Amino acid sequence: MKIKNNLVLALSLIILSFSCSSDDDNNQQEPQGAYEEGILITNEGNFGQGNGTVSFVSNDFSYTEHSVFSNVNGRLLGDTTQSIGFSDDLAYIIVNSSQKIEVVNRYTFQSVATIDSGLMNPRFITFISGKGYVTNWGDGSNAEDDYVAVIDLETNTVSSTIPVGEGPERIVNNGSTIYVAHQGGYSQNNIVSVIDPDSDVVTTITVGDVPNSMVFDNQGLLYVLSGGIPAWTGNETGGQLNVINTSSNTVSATLEFGDNEHPSNLSYGESLYYTLNGGVYKLAVGTSILPTTSIIENVNFNFMTIHNNILYGVDAGDYTSSGTLQSFDLGTNAPKHSKVVGIIPGGIYFND
Amino acid sequence: MNRLLYIFIILILGNVNVVRAQLDSIQKLDEVLLSDVKLKRYASGFKVSVLKDSVLTKSPWSLTDLLRYNSNIYFKENGYGMVSSPSFRGTNASQTAVVWNGININSQLNGQVDFNTINTSNYDSVEIRSGGGSVQYGSGAIGGSVHLSNDLSFMKHTDHTVRMGYGSFDTKRANYGLSSGSEHWSVNLGIAYVDSENDYKYLGTDKTNKNGQYDNLSFNLNAGYLLNDHHVFKLYHQSFVGDRNFSGTLLAPSKSKYEDTNYRSMLEWGYFNKQYTSKLKVVHLLEEFKYFENKDAEYFSFGRVQSFIGNHNLNIKLTETIDLRTIIEFAKYSGNGDDFANPNRNAFSATALWRHQVSEPLIYGLSIRKDITSDFESPLVFSVNGEYRFSESYAIKLNGSKNFRVPTFNDLYWNPGGNLDLLPESSYQVDFGQEFSSKFIDLKLNAYYINTKDMIQWVPDNTGLFRPQNINKVKSYGGELEVFLKHTIGNHHFKMNSGYSYTVSENDANAKQLIYVPLHKANINFGYSFKAVELFYQHLFNGEVNIIGGQLDGYDVGNVGLSYNYELSRNVHSILQFNINNLYNTTYENVALRPMPNRNYQLQLTLKF
Repeated sequence: MKIKNNLVLALSLIILSFSCSSDDDNNQQEPQGAYEEGILITNEGNFGQGNGTVSFVSNDFSYTEHSVFSNVNGRLLGDTTQSIGFSDDLAYIIVNSSQKIEVVNRYTFQSVATIDSGLMNPRFITFISGKGYVTNWGDGSNAEDDYVAVIDLETNTVSSTIPVGEGPERIVNNGSTIYVAHQGGYSQNNIVSVIDPDSDVVTTITVGDVPNSMVFDNQGLLYVLSGGIPAWTGNETGGQLNVINTSSNTVSATLEFGDNEHPSNLSYGESLYYTLNGGVYKLAVGTSILPTTSIIENVNFNFMTIHNNILYGVDAGDYTSSGTLQSFDLGTNAPKHSKVVGIIPGGIYFND
Repeated sequence: MNRLLYIFIILILGNVNVVRAQLDSIQKLDEVLLSDVKLKRYASGFKVSVLKDSVLTKSPWSLTDLLRYNSNIYFKENGYGMVSSPSFRGTNASQTAVVWNGININSQLNGQVDFNTINTSNYDSVEIRSGGGSVQYGSGAIGGSVHLSNDLSFMKHTDHTVRMGYGSFDTKRANYGLSSGSEHWSVNLGIAYVDSENDYKYLGTDKTNKNGQYDNLSFNLNAGYLLNDHHVFKLYHQSFVGDRNFSGTLLAPSKSKYEDTNYRSMLEWGYFNKQYTSKLKVVHLLEEFKYFENKDAEYFSFGRVQSFIGNHNLNIKLTETIDLRTIIEFAKYSGNGDDFANPNRNAFSATALWRHQVSEPLIYGLSIRKDITSDFESPLVFSVNGEYRFSESYAIKLNGSKNFRVPTFNDLYWNPGGNLDLLPESSYQVDFGQEFSSKFIDLKLNAYYINTKDMIQWVPDNTGLFRPQNINKVKSYGGELEVFLKHTIGNHHFKMNSGYSYTVSENDANAKQLIYVPLHKANINFGYSFKAVELFYQHLFNGEVNIIGGQLDGYDVGNVGLSYNYELSRNVHSILQFNINNLYNTTYENVALRPMPNRNYQLQLTLKF
């Protein structure tokens, strides 16, 4: 297949990069690649259509480049771009239904390796002790075959697997312990798996139903936001925010949402932020009462994160045409910038 | 003056009487033999193309392959042998009705028919009726309809046909057909089996089609009993059992599997009288699928719908030139499956068709239909159609109609997302056709306009949950040309049929051509025979299509075949046929990232006795 739009884009980008390279940046550090100092957006694309991409947006939103991977490497990235993880100079792009991870230099996007065996519906990655840990659903319809794949970063192969409960999704670590939120895949789950990377021993913590996001605060506490079970199941439950003490790995506090409230996108930047019913809510750390008014309204974020006191969110629009990346200044809660990205944007990564 | 008028009337009536005498017997014969008489009798003003046995046997058995090369319909096939859906005059996959012996068999689950689940070898003919046909064929007949027909012949005969084929990708085909009859009874039976590894090369890569294996069994049994001059009883049955792995794409591997099961049965009692014909039909349809995400695991999701249909047709000869047909139909659909509970739907429809042969060259029809459905309000639909034959060699045809498509079980009940507030899609269309014919050449030229509103599309709501909504409006218009040529010089027979279509289909919101609707499509079939040898060549040009976020290149594909007819023994006639498909080894994708087969070969032996 030849996607003519991309070809035109690639050509114009080549011209653009020639014209840009000569001026500015005289006494600054030499850039390590075209994609340093900016934001990478993973665009899932439509399932089965192979139009998953990564977009690059410069920090000041003045410049955007679409389909970065294929522009640099001359081949399509894959089907359903799920997420990116960084380890040193490398970016690990998880391409869900292509059942692979594309390893590239995070600044140049030059391909380094492709990991395409030992993965089954890979979702997210975290790095610790020189290894990568990737959550995998296995077959979506099988609750018994879910696992975390351990990636040997020297050989870029799956070196072992750790069986876990149904639907492992987001995965984070605090330098000593790995935490996996089990959103439940095609079903619903309510646990966080705790993995000791030295022994690969797994224990679990029960949290709210459908944990969808996790953040650490600067005190080392882990916050797990659960969306609750959606109404269509006939078994609706409300959202929950659980605070986990990472020394004892127990829930130290719980805040409950209303029975039909389903929050998501927990983010941290001095305070906690999350989305609910098209609004962004702010919750000061340590507060035991949930806010009743939003600080930003009328947004529809597929994903949201905070960086240097700026809130970034991606809106997937109608899911069949390009989505947008939007930013808000958290000093004033006012919108700052907006930029068109790819189809179904779902992840925001700062390539500083 | 009065006298002149009188003479004039006598002349006309006199003429009509002569014509009528012939018509009467033909009409009665049609009623007895054909499963879907409406298609012939109430189609004035419509373009109806008939593909007969001789065309069917040359094609590799699937309805997709047949129509791709022999009609203006464009197909979207998810890799060879995989799910295949039509776009007829720029409409979508659920806006083409497939009609099996007069009964609409579009899935109640998704509104479509997968054209790779219809094996053409067990049918006597396939007809393509262009233009809206909801009045006669119900939901989904918006772009047009495709008719699968079995004829019953009440003549003393017994014919057997055995066909066996073997070809590339370990493709095996076997078919047995029996047709037998006497003055009072008629039976025809067909069994067809296809099995293929389907592991073709992805040209230009080092990959092959890894998970594309398929097999399917098709069984048809039709029988008729002519009790006397007034009563005929008929049974039609069709079973299809298909087992397919679903190919992946160039970028996403697959290990999934899909099993289809369809059972269709119909009992018919026909009563014939001089002035009227009555037909009572009872139909049972069962469709079931099982989808395995992992073909090696036991997990699957499934869906099933059973339909019971009772239908009464009454054709009254009001005058020598006017026919009136009324149809009442009651249907009960009940489903169950993993993605919805146990939904039920009842539907009742009343239809009236009027046909008037005003004069020898002029004929028109008026028809109207109203459906009453348990879940939603269906529109009143109608059709006005007529044709005028200026001479033996030139006729014009015109039809205009309102048509509809009802929301499917998936649209209404899918959990999550199903929307009980949906309305049926509704569509207006006009179609103007001209037909030229002479000894050597037949030419059909059509132009149409279709405006469809309340089109159902699944869109995300503010929680990201996809739900179907009546949001889209689509305008389609275009032109079609079909040319048939025939010429004989001594023992040399030349035949050609070809088609070209220009199709614009735009979403009202952005005036952009819809995805997967080519602006241009052309096909040509060329045949040459000399004594026992026949050579044929077919070619398809499929223009570029829009896809999400880009374009997919157009392509040209050609197939060639050679057959040899000979008498094996006194009563055994045989045909040996060799085909080369994708002669030029074209690299092409029918759906983005799903390559189609490289050059491949097929050998087939047919025995008739």
